[in-house]
This record gives sequence, structure tokens and C-alpha cells, in this order.
Amino acid sequence: MKELQKLFNRIVQRVNINLRELKFDVSPYADALIPPDQMNKFYAFYGITPDHPLDLHFEHSALAGSYFLGKCRVRNSLLYKSDIRGDELKRKNDVRKFNSFTITLTKDEIIDIEDSALVKTLVHNYSHDPETPEKFFIKDTLAMDYANIHGAPSDGCFLGPFATVDLTTMRDCVIGAYSYIQAGEINHLKVDPGTIWVNSPGNFNFFYKYPQEPLAHYVSLSPDNVPWGILIDFIDERKDQFQRVFDFVNLDTIESVPETASLDRYAVVLPNIKIADNVLVAQRAYIENSSLGKGANAQENCFIINSCLEGYNVTAHGAKIIEARLGSNVFVGFNSFLYGKKESRLKIGRGCVIMPHTIIDVDQPLEIPEEHIVWGLIRNSEELRTNSMSLAELASVECSFTKGRMHFEGKGALLVNAFKERIQHILEANGAFFEDGANAGHAQRNQKLSLNTIQPFQFGEMVGMYPSIRILP
Amino acid sequence: MGGLMENHLVKDLMVPISEYATVVVGTSLIDAILTLEKAQETYTMRKYMHRAVLVLDESGQVVGKISQLRALKAIQPDHKAHEEIERLKAFNFSDNYIAQLRDLYRSHGKIMSDHSLRQAATKKVEEFMQTPSPGEFVSENSSLDTAIQRLVAGTHLSLLVTRDDKIVGILRISDVFAAVFHKMTSLDN
Repeated sequence: MKELQKLFNRIVQRVNINLRELKFDVSPYADALIPPDQMNKFYAFYGITPDHPLDLHFEHSALAGSYFLGKCRVRNSLLYKSDIRGDELKRKNDVRKFNSFTITLTKDEIIDIEDSALVKTLVHNYSHDPETPEKFFIKDTLAMDYANIHGAPSDGCFLGPFATVDLTTMRDCVIGAYSYIQAGEINHLKVDPGTIWVNSPGNFNFFYKYPQEPLAHYVSLSPDNVPWGILIDFIDERKDQFQRVFDFVNLDTIESVPETASLDRYAVVLPNIKIADNVLVAQRAYIENSSLGKGANAQENCFIINSCLEGYNVTAHGAKIIEARLGSNVFVGFNSFLYGKKESRLKIGRGCVIMPHTIIDVDQPLEIPEEHIVWGLIRNSEELRTNSMSLAELASVECSFTKGRMHFEGKGALLVNAFKERIQHILEANGAFFEDGANAGHAQRNQKLSLNTIQPFQFGEMVGMYPSIRILP
Repeated sequence: MGGLMENHLVKDLMVPISEYATVVVGTSLIDAILTLEKAQETYTMRKYMHRAVLVLDESGQVVGKISQLRALKAIQPDHKAHEEIERLKAFNFSDNYIAQLRDLYRSHGKIMSDHSLRQAATKKVEEFMQTPSPGEFVSENSSLDTAIQRLVAGTHLSLLVTRDDKIVGILRISDVFAAVFHKMTSLDN
């Protein structure tokens, strides 16, 4: 048996041991997950920049097509086309508050991936676990296609395709396909597919679960199969365009990008595009025939097609916007799928919050009034009425309410404020407010980034594995 | 009964599976209840009647259990919705909120109507049976001490008794209760 297979078997066993209490066996999903013959076909690459400490340590791992930035250690792990972005990690001497504790970091934070398999997964942000402020750990974990591990240390977990865990420490959990969890800390929890849960204990609790049958049209998962559904098909239809940007060492520069904006070299950009000041387009984003106004951003795995974003828009990791016009300051959450059509476009008013993992798929034109919050599955105006409300109405909720499949308990104003603060933070971090050399963020700093590649073994027992290597400044 | 306590073994108190009410996967709720009634009529060995039905798969393996509580849960209209409400506990919703939701759903459908009961009668046992949890098994050669600890720790009404990998009987809380307190009262005397 080749080393790659041995490593994979070992990871699957470790994840299964952690999930035995939930009686969840990842083996049938894992078997179809990583094609061993693909693992030596893609190089790995890493960013070098004066703005982030560099310390990459790879040991007994496979890293095909994956990207690394900042401080990261990968041991006994298998990464396939994953992005490990350490550009928001905490630094030595940073001071963090947690409840009544004040925590001072004694060293730079590091992303530590051990005994895990990540497929087309994004790892970003920093550890929000007060017990491990200097280590963003991902251990004994299997994450499937387009999962997001965002500020979410993980030990012994399975994440289905398009699952997102955000600002939450998870231990021994199964996160179903297309679920979004933001809950601080979860343990021994099995989450059904399409569960959207945003919980701030003592403040608010938002819960929505997709009807399982319609959700299965968008993303499905069953043992011994790779994931399938409209979301997967949508991405697969465009993957040749990504192949082109990864195949060429030097691509033509796009002249129309302002100096204050950043268009990543590993993004796909197709005519005709307009990019205004302070725009950020991250790697693996796909922009076609669209306009991005001042301070808008498109994060990893985003697709923006035949659409106009007026400015200061956040398009979070994995969100897709097709045939739509978005007013300014619209937030589109992780992995949302806004699927307008040429004859039935989507219009979203200024200041709207599209909750993470929202699907809007319409065959009639649809307009969402400004300053509204929207969630779940929306295929027509009736479903929009059930799955949306004005932010002012939500802010007036004092205790609890139920609407359709959504449950809410707590103070609505706290949820609204939490979103507004988060959106402001994302815009600041991305450099949307850069002016006269002040307020720089990712959009400006990424311009001082260069890339190196590393290659796997091509022959023998170690084929597909990468040599153990440490990269320091 | 005093002799049984001297042995201190599960197999001495269990009801053999052959004497217990069993149905196969695919059986309707109404047929399962009729099977239970029949088993109660024929089982006169001890004073406590059977209160549950075991569900077997095609190969005769026990795959589930239907207690009276499970059967009552199954006859609630939209019992799936009730299950979903119960699941909200795992997602940090308060008991108060869950109670409100239960009231809301209760007002939507009456249980004791001909229509609801007719619909419930046709439900298949696998839709509402309880699948055995790891702490619900006990070996036939285990001591009664072990069995009592498992019944109490898991708040089970019965345990499935195993011989090697096979389930050979049921240890009911009523029989354990009777045996223990028979022994206790005899000590007092």
C-alpha cells in the first residue's frame, strides 16, 4: 500500500474513533472523497508578504493544489485544493478579552493541522477559543468540498459539503451538508443537513432548518458517492476557467483595476468587469460581466456573474450572486446562493443582510426591500414573506418568535447589532475604507504578496506526498 | 423469589424473548398493539404484564422497542414536528420556548379524533420505535447489581439481555423491583 493510502486510512480511523459516540462512520463518504491519482497532479503554493509572519511547516502530508499564508503547521494530513489563510491570526503581545479574563498572547498564533483531511476547504480567521489563544487547531477532522472552518478550532469532527463552522470550537461533532453553525462552543453534536444556527448564549438564538427534500436538489450526499446537486453542478461547469489560472505561471495583468484594489492572481475574471477603489477579490473567486463598487469584496470561492454590487458589499466565503443588483452595504453570508435568471433578475435593497447559507432561486423577478434580513430557502415572493423581515422589526423583538421554519429566542436588537458590527469589521479588515494611506486592509496589503510553489513526489511509494519541509523568512 | 436473589444473575429474572411480544419491521401500530394484547393474555407467569413490544428485523435480530410512551408519542398528529421541537433542546432553546411551541402545535391538531387515530393506526413501527442505546444491553450472566445500575443510570424501563451477540430476553424493571423489595422486606422480618 502506498504512503498516501496509508495516511488516508489512518485519518479516517482517527475521525471515526472520535465520532463513535454519535455512531457516525465517515468511511463510506471518505472513500470517494480524494482520488489518489490526482494528488500528484497539482502543486501547492504559499504567499510571502512583509505584512504577515512566515512559518510554514509541512510534515508527512499531501497538499495538492492548496494555498498557505502566514504561520501554519501541517502534520500527517491530507489537503486537497484547500486554502489555509493565516492573515488574520493573532500576534505576540495581542491582548484579548473573554468574559472577565484578559488574555495576553505570549507568541504568534499558528494554524495547526494534524491527522486531518480537508477537501476544497477554507480555513481562515483565528482561534476564538480562550483556552488555546495561540493555536488554531484542526485535529482528527474530515472536511468535505467547500466547507468553511472560520475561526473554528476542531477536534474529531466531520463537516459535510458546503458546511460552515464560524467562530465556534467544535469537538466530536458531525456537521451536515450546507449547515452553518456559529455557537461559541459545541460538543458531541450531530447537526442535520441545512441547519442554520446562530447562538450567542444569554443574548439571542436563531435557528432554521431547510426542508430536506428541496435542499437535496441543491446539495446531496450519500455513502460511496461524491457530493452532487445544483450547487456542485454550478461550480463544475466553471472549473475549466480555474484550470487556466492555475496552469499558467504569468497571466496578463488587467489594466482597469485601481491601485487601491486587489484582484488576486488566482481569481478568474471574465469580461466585462468594472472594479472600483478598495475592492478585494480573493483567490478562487470568479467574476464575470459584473461591476464591483467602492469597497466591495468577493472572498474565496465566490461567484459573481452578470451582477452589479453598488459598494461596501460583503460577499462572504463561498457566496454566489448571479443576475442580481445589490444596493450598497448589502451583506451576503457564507455559501449563499442567489440565483437570479436573465429574465427574472434579483434586486436586493441597500443594507440588507442575507443570512449565511441562504438559497434564493427564482423564475420570476424578485425584489427585497432595503434593510431586511433574509434566510433559508426562497423560490418565490410567498417564501420571501415567510423567510424575511425588516431589521427594525427584528430589533424590536424582546423575547421570542417563530416564523415559518425559523425559531428565535432572545433580544432581536442584539442579533442585528452583532451583524452590523461584524459587517463593519469585515469591511475594515478588507480595506474598504482605505483613504490617503490610512485604513489599509487585505485589498491594499495583498498587493505586496508574491507566491512560491512546492511540488509533491511524482514516483515511488511516496507519490502524491510532499517532502517534509520548514519554510522560514 | 428469595432463591432468585441468591443467584444474583440476570438470566434468572429475565423474560425469554420467545415469551415476549415481538413484531417484524413493517408492522403497523395497530397490529403491534394487538400483538401486545395477545402476549399479555397468554403470559401469566408473573403478576406484571408486558408493556412493550420488541421489533425484529428479517433475520430475527432486535432492532427496536415500542413502549407505551412511544406509542402515545406516535399518535400525536404531526409527530415529526414534535420530534423537531424536542431537537431544539440540543440547540440551547429554553424549556419555556419549547413548551410554547408544543402548545402552538397542539392547538393545530386534536389527538382524540377518529381521523387522527385512523391515520396513526397505519404508521409503521420503524417510524416511531426506539432503537436500543449502548447502555441498554446486559449479559445474561451479569449480576443484578450491574443490571440495577444500568436501569437507574439510563432511566430504562427494561434491558435487552444478551448471550454472546444474540438477544435472548428482556429484563423488566418491574421484575427487578419486585425481587429487590421482596428481599428487603424479608430482611426486615
